[in-house]
Amino acid sequence: MSFLANFLGATVSAATVFILAGLGELISERAGVLNLGVEGIMLVGALTGFITTVLTGNYWLGFLVGGCCGMAFSLLHGFLCISLKSDQAISGIMITLLGTGLTTYFGVDWTSRSISGFPDRTLPLIGDVLVEIPVVGPALFRNTMVDYFALLLVPLVWLFLYRTNLGLEIISVGEDPETADTMGVDVFKIKYLAVLLGGLMAGFAGAHLSLAFNQLWATGMTAGRGWIAVALVIFAQWRPARVLVGAYLFGLFSVLQLRSQALSLAFPSDVPFAALLNGILDFLLNPTIMATYPYLATLVVLFVVVYRNENSHLDQPSALVQSYTRESS
Amino acid sequence: MQFGVELTPRSEVPRWLVYATPVFTILAALAVSSVALLALDVAPLEAYRVLFVQTLTTEFGIRETLVEAVPLILAGLAVYLPLKAGLWNVGAEGQLVLGAVASTWVGLNVSLPAVFLLPLMFLAATVVGAIWAGVPAILKAKWDINEIITTLLLTFVAADVMSYLVRGPMQSPTGNFPQTAILPAAAQLPILPGLDVHAGLVVALVAAVLVYLLMTRTRFGFEVTFVGSNDAAAEHAGMSKTRVYVLVLVIGGVLAAFAGVAEIAGNQARLRAAFEPGYGFTAIPIALLGRDNALNVVLAGLFFAVLFVGGDSLSILMGVPAALIEIIQALIILFLITAEFFKRYSVDISTDLRVRGVRADAVGEDH
Amino acid sequence: MAGDDFLRMEKIRKTFPGVVANDDVDFSVRRGEIHGLLGENGAGKSTLMKILYGLYTQDSGTVWIDGRRLDADSPQDAIDAGVGMVHQHFMLVPRLSVAENIVLGSREPASMFREEADGSSSLLRSNRLVRALASRFTLGLDAPSAEIQDLADTYGFDIDVTAPVWELDIGQRQRIEILKALYRDVDLLILDEPTAVLTPTEAERLFETLRQLASEGLSVIFITHKLTEVTAVTDRVTVLRDGTTVDTVETDSCTRAELAEMMVGREVLFELDKETVSTGQPVLDVTDLHVEDDRSIEAVGGVDLSVSEGEIVGLAGVSGNGQRELAEALVGVRPATAGAITVGGRELTGSSTQAFIDAGVSFVPEDRDTHGAAGDLSVMHNAVMKEYRDGRFGDGVQLDYDAAEAYAQRLVEEFDVRGVGDVTEAEAGDLSGGNLQKLILARELDRDPNLLVANQPTRGVDVGAIEFIRDELLAQRQAGTGIVLLSEDLDEIFDLSDRVLVVYEGDIVHETTPATADRNRVSLLMNGGKQPDGDEKRAVTTRGEA
Repeated sequence: MSFLANFLGATVSAATVFILAGLGELISERAGVLNLGVEGIMLVGALTGFITTVLTGNYWLGFLVGGCCGMAFSLLHGFLCISLKSDQAISGIMITLLGTGLTTYFGVDWTSRSISGFPDRTLPLIGDVLVEIPVVGPALFRNTMVDYFALLLVPLVWLFLYRTNLGLEIISVGEDPETADTMGVDVFKIKYLAVLLGGLMAGFAGAHLSLAFNQLWATGMTAGRGWIAVALVIFAQWRPARVLVGAYLFGLFSVLQLRSQALSLAFPSDVPFAALLNGILDFLLNPTIMATYPYLATLVVLFVVVYRNENSHLDQPSALVQSYTRESS
Repeated sequence: MQFGVELTPRSEVPRWLVYATPVFTILAALAVSSVALLALDVAPLEAYRVLFVQTLTTEFGIRETLVEAVPLILAGLAVYLPLKAGLWNVGAEGQLVLGAVASTWVGLNVSLPAVFLLPLMFLAATVVGAIWAGVPAILKAKWDINEIITTLLLTFVAADVMSYLVRGPMQSPTGNFPQTAILPAAAQLPILPGLDVHAGLVVALVAAVLVYLLMTRTRFGFEVTFVGSNDAAAEHAGMSKTRVYVLVLVIGGVLAAFAGVAEIAGNQARLRAAFEPGYGFTAIPIALLGRDNALNVVLAGLFFAVLFVGGDSLSILMGVPAALIEIIQALIILFLITAEFFKRYSVDISTDLRVRGVRADAVGEDH
Repeated sequence: MAGDDFLRMEKIRKTFPGVVANDDVDFSVRRGEIHGLLGENGAGKSTLMKILYGLYTQDSGTVWIDGRRLDADSPQDAIDAGVGMVHQHFMLVPRLSVAENIVLGSREPASMFREEADGSSSLLRSNRLVRALASRFTLGLDAPSAEIQDLADTYGFDIDVTAPVWELDIGQRQRIEILKALYRDVDLLILDEPTAVLTPTEAERLFETLRQLASEGLSVIFITHKLTEVTAVTDRVTVLRDGTTVDTVETDSCTRAELAEMMVGREVLFELDKETVSTGQPVLDVTDLHVEDDRSIEAVGGVDLSVSEGEIVGLAGVSGNGQRELAEALVGVRPATAGAITVGGRELTGSSTQAFIDAGVSFVPEDRDTHGAAGDLSVMHNAVMKEYRDGRFGDGVQLDYDAAEAYAQRLVEEFDVRGVGDVTEAEAGDLSGGNLQKLILARELDRDPNLLVANQPTRGVDVGAIEFIRDELLAQRQAGTGIVLLSEDLDEIFDLSDRVLVVYEGDIVHETTPATADRNRVSLLMNGGKQPDGDEKRAVTTRGEA
């Protein structure tokens, strides 16, 4: 059943991209800064990481450079939104357009290169044993270090936000910057920190795409994953654990898209309305239709949340998308 | 010695700043993009000459520009109108795509003479565009759900739905390509005599005039302006914020859908799965540049049309990747945002001044 | 428990454009005393305290804390000097717990890194790099939580410090604000109108807490305009009026009446010609009106009101006693939760704002910038804000901007709105307060309303414009409009009204006429200084925002 193992392994790898980008966006939004530029930042990370690895042969260096370039690029968004108090949505869209344009423009020469990608590793000690578990073993226990890193990041981000002073300040700035300011929190610095962390993780996500998931560079290779990451944060209602769940769910969707032909699922013909059911099933499993699932899922979550609370948006950081000026309103 | 930056909100914007802004932003964007050109060993001035002068002085260039301008103007209007009410219609791209889908479907499957078929196609686009923008509108008006998020999400859904349809039920029976059959002659927009451009241009210009009249001559336009400026005061005046929000977004959706119709029925004559023109996103800087009135939107649309057509020439003649235009476009937005900042605040940079955390209160407040 | 002066503010001067908020104010507080800072709105109390707390910087004058000079540039400086402030609008993050809110910003590292920790290596405690990292990447909640819980229990606060703030009620939230200051080890605590949001019982608990704190040496400054509170809890009280210090007295040595006199003064600004007008039909009839504020707390608790043609009914009261909510309900901007509103014989309860406007109701709101005008739009736009639907501005869907421009021009001339060159170019936001108010008044009066509701119409307006506005109100009265005038300015109320009602905590507590009124009594009632008349409704547990 190596198909299934293969399938699960691809899901893990796909999810890693979403975990990284999603957690980064989560931190940024927790501090009140919406970053719609994730798609563009990921592309920058993907290209710069790829180029570095091709030139140096070192995967870790490429991963790191990709992250740092993503971080540097997000600084522009941070400056516009935090210091210049610009409209966060427009700035974000501009960053995506700029990132896409720049990487397409400068990445033309790199599309024909190829690399062998991050090597797979097993976990130390117990790894060799776990890998032997049929089906699940190779899928879950032989992955790249980046995959393990992403998984580790989920509890780390949780700890960072909820069990450190910096995290406390990030949350407070995203809820009520005026109160945070009164309490002596450096609101601007904290917002910048959150945006830069978001950019760093988006850069990592992009680098993972070109170095591990696809092992090549192609213009526009993120194919909307950055947007899915933004949707993911809303879907997860700004909770790290739910980002993990959502990342795997969306990762599953994206992998299913590519492999749905091989699935050949169908209702047996003696089931009543088999033809109709199979028609519906075909529709639901159609790759392009599946591509909408992350967005539809997010919209559903939005409806449900608002429907259930009269004071809607109970989980959204209260000061999300608002610029802060130290003047009384 | 300490370095301090003090921001004071401006009470009024200096005249010269208001008029100079569009010009400055475009010049700045072009200037910064020359760095990208230099990186590829291309002389910027030469490149810009090809980009602008060539496009505007050849018959081919002018015709292509006008064709390109049609969807850009319509999409620009689709973002401009909600913006006047304080809403961002970021989903113009999705509304555009679905307008293309609906009208193409009608064009391929309904046989009527052109004089009935074409209006029917626009009608189909109207319905679809209205729904696709109407849903986020109601969500915003009733439950204050951010319209940026909802219109954006729906855009991606629309693109996928279109792709599915074009590869599936709407796929052309001849050959196995992800595209529809060519629209029959009755379903294609006629060419305007003399200009050699399709009638979509008329639609775009009429739409611009109508939007202009709507905003400057009607009561509804007054309400839109008022709600966009101060919705609390508007409600005190008895205006319905809900009605305004829903109507501007629905009209915007319809306009964007028309852009889709015009592009397919006028220019491309068939719908391809790869139809992802990005006009809906370009519409954002167009609306920003044309922010003051609908006729400026036309000018901004024409400008971007020149950019796109010129960009194609540039890539063919000088090997510069067409992505340069995307970079220029993004930079225009960047500088527009920056200019916005300078319009709102005057900046004093001082040394030897400790920056004080002054809380400025309105005059005459209690206590 | 008196002691030396702990706080001394000398010759404090602070001006804002057009207004002198503090005019050479002297203010001092002894150690361990509860000192009241009394004055009407606009007297300068809040400004003075914001200077002390570092939110403003004085133009001249010095502040001394415990003998040392204080130049506070930010709240942090004030906190470091031992000054804490409990704001009227609580500075709390609802999503976080009580303890988290209190330690926010202090960057307490986890226990093992704390300085007092024993049993951990001195390396962890003393190394600078380690401390810097620890203060950022750990969160010391356990020790502080215990400390805070201790503090809370000592003062009987009845709070679980691990609970998220959104679960707590207003009284508890205020106690958290006090805890915040206590935790920061302040020597001087400033409370800004603390009982504005409390029930009488909660207020009493607060007073007990303050007495306890004072007896332990903490100095307390209690900002208020309510006379009952001053006499209930303060040792001494300083009265401010119009930016200057009137006097500082021992609370026990003064009667409430004397304090009221100091607070309110006896100047009469204008002699107005008020002719007697025979009143006609009732234009407004309100029965048992209940209205909630933005926090869904009842702000108006069962009000009956009627106004006839050609009559001005003045509602005297300090802002924050339900006036805003009442005014908004009367014009249909805010829905009533119970009761009936009838305008000109037509029942309008629950109708849309538009219906009220169509019934001839005009409104001059308290907040002219947020509710009365669109600052970015032209004078013309704002002039036709309510009348644009009228036929004289075009048929059908069309709006005749030329007619609008002419109309605006006429209004500007008739109502002496200055600072307007071209009505289509000048922005409403550029007009001075007085001129904007005149524009709004012009718009509201020109349509010859049946009922006009004016909430603080002369607040923040220059003297010349005040006179103009008052004359216009009287002229409209002559023309037969029924007017509801809400104002904090007693002189204004008495000069203009035919009947005077006193509003306190969402109820009408007294009715009189200018001729027969006892002004001192009215002033006291406005400030809660006297029990309402026997057969008046008891003030329900209502509150407004100040």
